[in-house]
Amino acid sequence: MVESRAVAMLRRQLTELNKNPVDGFSAGLIDESDIFKWEVLVMGPPDTFYDGGCFKAHLVFPHDYPLKPPKMKFISEIWHPNIDKNGDVCISILHEPGEDKWGYESPAERWVPVHTVETILLSVISMLADPNDQSPANVDAAKDWRLDYQGEFKRKVKRCVRKTEDM
Amino acid sequence: MAENPDNPIDEEIERSTGMTRDEAILAQQDRIQKEVEDTNPLVSERLPLVVLKEEYQADPVYSKKIEDMYASFPYIRKTRGDGNCFFRAFGFAYMEKLLTDKAELHRFKETIEKSKDTLIALGFPSFTLMDFYDTFMEVVNQIEEKPSLSELLATFCDQGMSDYLVVYLRLLTSAELQKEADFYQNFFEGNRTVKEFCSQEVEPMYKESDHIHIIALTSSLGVGVRVVYLDRGENQRANHHDFPEGMPPQIVLLYRPGHYDILYGE
Repeated sequence: MVESRAVAMLRRQLTELNKNPVDGFSAGLIDESDIFKWEVLVMGPPDTFYDGGCFKAHLVFPHDYPLKPPKMKFISEIWHPNIDKNGDVCISILHEPGEDKWGYESPAERWVPVHTVETILLSVISMLADPNDQSPANVDAAKDWRLDYQGEFKRKVKRCVRKTEDM
Repeated sequence: MAENPDNPIDEEIERSTGMTRDEAILAQQDRIQKEVEDTNPLVSERLPLVVLKEEYQADPVYSKKIEDMYASFPYIRKTRGDGNCFFRAFGFAYMEKLLTDKAELHRFKETIEKSKDTLIALGFPSFTLMDFYDTFMEVVNQIEEKPSLSELLATFCDQGMSDYLVVYLRLLTSAELQKEADFYQNFFEGNRTVKEFCSQEVEPMYKESDHIHIIALTSSLGVGVRVVYLDRGENQRANHHDFPEGMPPQIVLLYRPGHYDILYGE
């Protein structure tokens, strides 16, 4: 019952995104037979070091979406304070309320059930441009970002951008 | 591998459970949650108030206050304590009223129909919003076509359906706060905006309700609620307060620190 609602809502969103694409990303399924697993391509936002890159990521939705948030993981290598070295995106809106078991999460915005793939991706794109260094998932990237933005940080990000161009 | 091989407690946990300490803690939290779900339905049957006293057998203050309530409120309906209890208690108690009050049902339906446009005007994504609205209306229509207490209870005990209803009530609360932001802004300490408060404390599931949530929801729907407070306070009897102020209450909720249940006069 909950699951059939999730399926219907995800299908509607996929159809809508294919019909009226949104600037900054494109979306499809990893495997046509599984509506719960999406593949998205995120364009590096203009006026950032990520510009020109096209980063592949997976979104995995729980069966009680939208009551619970999906998980997002970059498959392309990406250097960013809020994306851990395995590619997992750590952004407050993708955390369930109460899911603060490790205590590093600030009481920022939480998952709310009206979020769509579009609103999630827009938040992720805004996170790329504007990292939150209060709760870094990649401590080294956060250090580079804070201490050597024009040097080490730029160099590592640019390397990731070039790698996506080779794909 | 143990998180910290030098720590004998971690080693002991790992030896006995085969899990690291953090894994063992998470597993235990899951077990506790499972147990809560198994023993407490989201909304219970109507029970004699004495069941409440049984929870406080060793507590003379609570026991006395509960006994004093027997005459006014012989029955209680409990809700699960998951942070959504105010919304679930309010939703169930009010819809139960609607089962036998056609005029009120008609008024409520009109209010809900209008609420959808308000929410879209406030910028909620209509895509997901409509799903919650449709589900909410489905339940309201069901009450109109075939008023059945047992079906209403089944709806509220079905996690998916029940949570969809809670989401919509949370959205209505958020909309009221945002619409009347100038008024509600006065309630906040610090410099949190109404919008921030809504996205942090109102719209997310499992976030507990405060007076401000109750004032906003009851004002937005025009539904009077009496809240009876049961606490350790000096007063001999349980106090009560009506929301919104001055409106005759249609339903009665019981508040114990951190939790809301439903009370019945007869």
